[in-house]
Amino acid sequence: MGYQIPREAADQLFGWLAEHYEILAPKVFAGEGCFSDTDVTRYGTVRSLSEIEFDKKSDYSFKEALLPVNETLFYFTEDQETVPAAPGKKRLVFLRSCDLHALKRLDAIYLENGREDFYYKRLREHVLFVLIGCPESCDTGFCVSMGTSQTGDYDLYLKISEETVWADCKSEELKAFFGRLPDGTCAETAVSPEAPSENKETVTLPPSFSEDILSNPVWESYGSRCIGCGRCNFVCPTCTCFTMQDIHYRDNAKAGERRRVWASCQVDGYTDVAGGGSFRKTQSDRLRFKVLHKICDFEKRFGFQMCVGCGRCEAVCPEYISYISLINTLVKEDA
Amino acid sequence: MSLDINTKKAKKNAYRISKVRGVGASRIRVPGGYLKAEILGMVQKIAETYGNGIVHLTTRQGFEIEGIRLEDMDAINQMLQPIIELLDINQTDKNGGYPASGTRNVSACIGNNVCPFANYNTAEFAKRLEKAIFPNDLHFKVALTGCPNDCAKVRLHDFGIIGMTMPQYDPARCVACKACIKGCKSLSVDALRMENHKIVRDEEKCIGCGVCVTKCPTRAFTRSKKKYYRLSIMGRTGKRNPRLGKDFLVWADEDSVVKIILNTYRFVKEYIDPNAPGGKEHIGYIIDRVGFEEYKKWALDGVELLPETIVNQCVYWDGIHYD
Amino acid sequence: MNNEYLPFPSQVKEVIRHTDIEYTFRMGFSGDVRPGQFFEVSIPKFGEAPISVSGIGADTVDLTIRRVGTVTNQIFEHYKGSTLFMRGPYGNGFYLENYLNRELFVIAGGTGLSPVKGIVDYFSDHPQKVRSMTLIAGFKSPSDILFREDFEHWEKTMKVIRTVDTAPEGYEGAVGLVTKYIPELSVTDPARSAFVIVGPPAMMKFAAAEVLKLPIPEENIWISQERKMCCGLGKCGHCRIGSTYVCLNGPVFNYAKGKYLVD
Repeated sequence: MGYQIPREAADQLFGWLAEHYEILAPKVFAGEGCFSDTDVTRYGTVRSLSEIEFDKKSDYSFKEALLPVNETLFYFTEDQETVPAAPGKKRLVFLRSCDLHALKRLDAIYLENGREDFYYKRLREHVLFVLIGCPESCDTGFCVSMGTSQTGDYDLYLKISEETVWADCKSEELKAFFGRLPDGTCAETAVSPEAPSENKETVTLPPSFSEDILSNPVWESYGSRCIGCGRCNFVCPTCTCFTMQDIHYRDNAKAGERRRVWASCQVDGYTDVAGGGSFRKTQSDRLRFKVLHKICDFEKRFGFQMCVGCGRCEAVCPEYISYISLINTLVKEDA
Repeated sequence: MSLDINTKKAKKNAYRISKVRGVGASRIRVPGGYLKAEILGMVQKIAETYGNGIVHLTTRQGFEIEGIRLEDMDAINQMLQPIIELLDINQTDKNGGYPASGTRNVSACIGNNVCPFANYNTAEFAKRLEKAIFPNDLHFKVALTGCPNDCAKVRLHDFGIIGMTMPQYDPARCVACKACIKGCKSLSVDALRMENHKIVRDEEKCIGCGVCVTKCPTRAFTRSKKKYYRLSIMGRTGKRNPRLGKDFLVWADEDSVVKIILNTYRFVKEYIDPNAPGGKEHIGYIIDRVGFEEYKKWALDGVELLPETIVNQCVYWDGIHYD
Repeated sequence: MNNEYLPFPSQVKEVIRHTDIEYTFRMGFSGDVRPGQFFEVSIPKFGEAPISVSGIGADTVDLTIRRVGTVTNQIFEHYKGSTLFMRGPYGNGFYLENYLNRELFVIAGGTGLSPVKGIVDYFSDHPQKVRSMTLIAGFKSPSDILFREDFEHWEKTMKVIRTVDTAPEGYEGAVGLVTKYIPELSVTDPARSAFVIVGPPAMMKFAAAEVLKLPIPEENIWISQERKMCCGLGKCGHCRIGSTYVCLNGPVFNYAKGKYLVD
């Protein structure tokens, strides 16, 4: 159901939503960028519409709304294990089409690959998704190439201006909130999400790569530039790896916790086994491992590509390793 | 032709009397070394009209237009006027050129307009200081640098301002990748360690360089909202006792730094040797004579320091003694 | 919904010391388990480590642990009379039916003997279920030899070549890498043979190459891969190789598939 609402009424409606849900949305964190006097756009809890960054793609993806950077699995006290309670409130997560497509990838790993993940599932079941449109393509995205530029799988779509808010609500639960608006403030109208029809960047993936792809010189040429910082993984909406950490509290060694923490296949230690073995020692091997997962290996297992073409890894790499150029070179050389 | 030049006045007006009789140089101050490119064209025009076509880039980030005739000073001052206005230099007489030269150009590294390591906008702070301390005949050298790398070599100045940031650590965003630990060890002072898979920062050791922040891939380390400065004082070059400046304040705020420098002018006016040649006595020598305790009293007068600011109560300088 | 991450406490029933750094812990466990499967074993507050099953009893499983890291150090320090925490078993393990009525050859290097020990034990107890059985077990040196008592038992029912890479002068046993003994193996019917090769990556690679030369068809060779595993549940990603999750699809692989796994 599409609505057109004056901004003031929409702000009021948002207030009701904020009481009911924990709303997670892209937000500008002023001065918290990598460099002095730079900002970062990442996910945070918001209580008003104006806090949400609608114009610019977030530097970090939505995934932390479902997969916290650090997640305590349980606490140890003496010989007891205590699982932390699930968040009390349901969540509304604002995200763009690329990220909503990434959700399908997270589900594949956490709900389908082997047994269901307790922690992911209990959060996931209580999340509604609010789509942010993309009136035009961002700089580094190639969602059109990856088939992720559009989606209908949202609970709510919102487009805002200073004066007006347009909404398309598919969720019955959320429609109730629109029903509470004073008469005459909520006009029914057809609203469909804005989506780019083309990007500045294009990537054309072949149906499959040859076996020679593993020894393609591209890995060495790009890998030799990689510093293994892991930024590409941490900003990626489809990277889901974690490492387990056990700790005992410094002032009470009898109590502690086990948690899982985001991991990066580019950072030292990812393949280290006890006793000193390591399976991918060079950045070239690690880069190959990551890129082929995104555009080939995941697809072999799940039947659809992992990469959603959000372009965040392209934008964040401090060494200017262009994921897009890398793939395009690879495709050309493998043809 | 007779040449009747008041050299004292000319020098105060920012002209150099050169080794060639009748020939001088015009000195242009550029606070923070930060200028619009159009000024370069203006400098070129003066050099080609009144000079010998050569411009020297000074060690303090100014220009020195060589080979000008001393009798052309008034005409050159006219041409300097748009430069002075564009750079917003305090002036007493319009079209009269620079009203003083004792307090030198405030120099600075490129700062956070460009440099990824810098912790603040050095050009803006340089301009603020320039507005606060110029014109003044007292011989003060102030320099600013964005981070403890000190590319601007501020420790060779009476006042050296070094940018700092107080690292803010959010353990909930930390993935224990150790990029900050490695960065701090290899590029800075090795003030970070891991405990329980989280970072512990040695606050005594940390110099606020911000390397941890630039290395962090998840925004677990961010910069403090407040900008902090390390104030190094009384560094100097020179014949008798060249030496590196020593820290007076650590984790200081911008207002305190400005106020302390202004207070130092009052201190110098009070204690400068009235018989000093050319009215010039370096501040450092005055403090050597009067004592650091007395200087500190003057310097901190009316200064409201942040609670986190560390004041070094005793400062001793070493350096090379030729005297 | 079941929380797979919660470990259960398990009593240490018995500890068998093989070397200074390798002990077998006999743990209380009743449930379905196969040789080659693994458990995530932990000491709470110190961490988890994947440990493969080296023996299966009526209500016990054996876990042979090599003291090489933080977690295993803690296990060695604190096992006495205590419980360890476990979850699992995970992975596919070895399906014994693959080896029935075949000429079975098990080639193991070092602690690689643990995951295959269940196979050796089983066919040692049921020799009639295979046409013949040969074990080649290699260790670094005589002091690294594991399962000494078991070897005495196995020698009664199968051909055993227990070799060490290097040995002090006067050592009477076999010396040399396991690969040295592979060409000497006599296989009557390669089509009805089965080779299980487990050990460090380099050992498996060279041993498999020697076996293929015999010649043995690829599909008659099985290997087991060790990788970093934080979850054992196909989530953490550390053990993935290409489109394969070692924790879900392995750690045991038929060589015809396993040879394509490039880290």
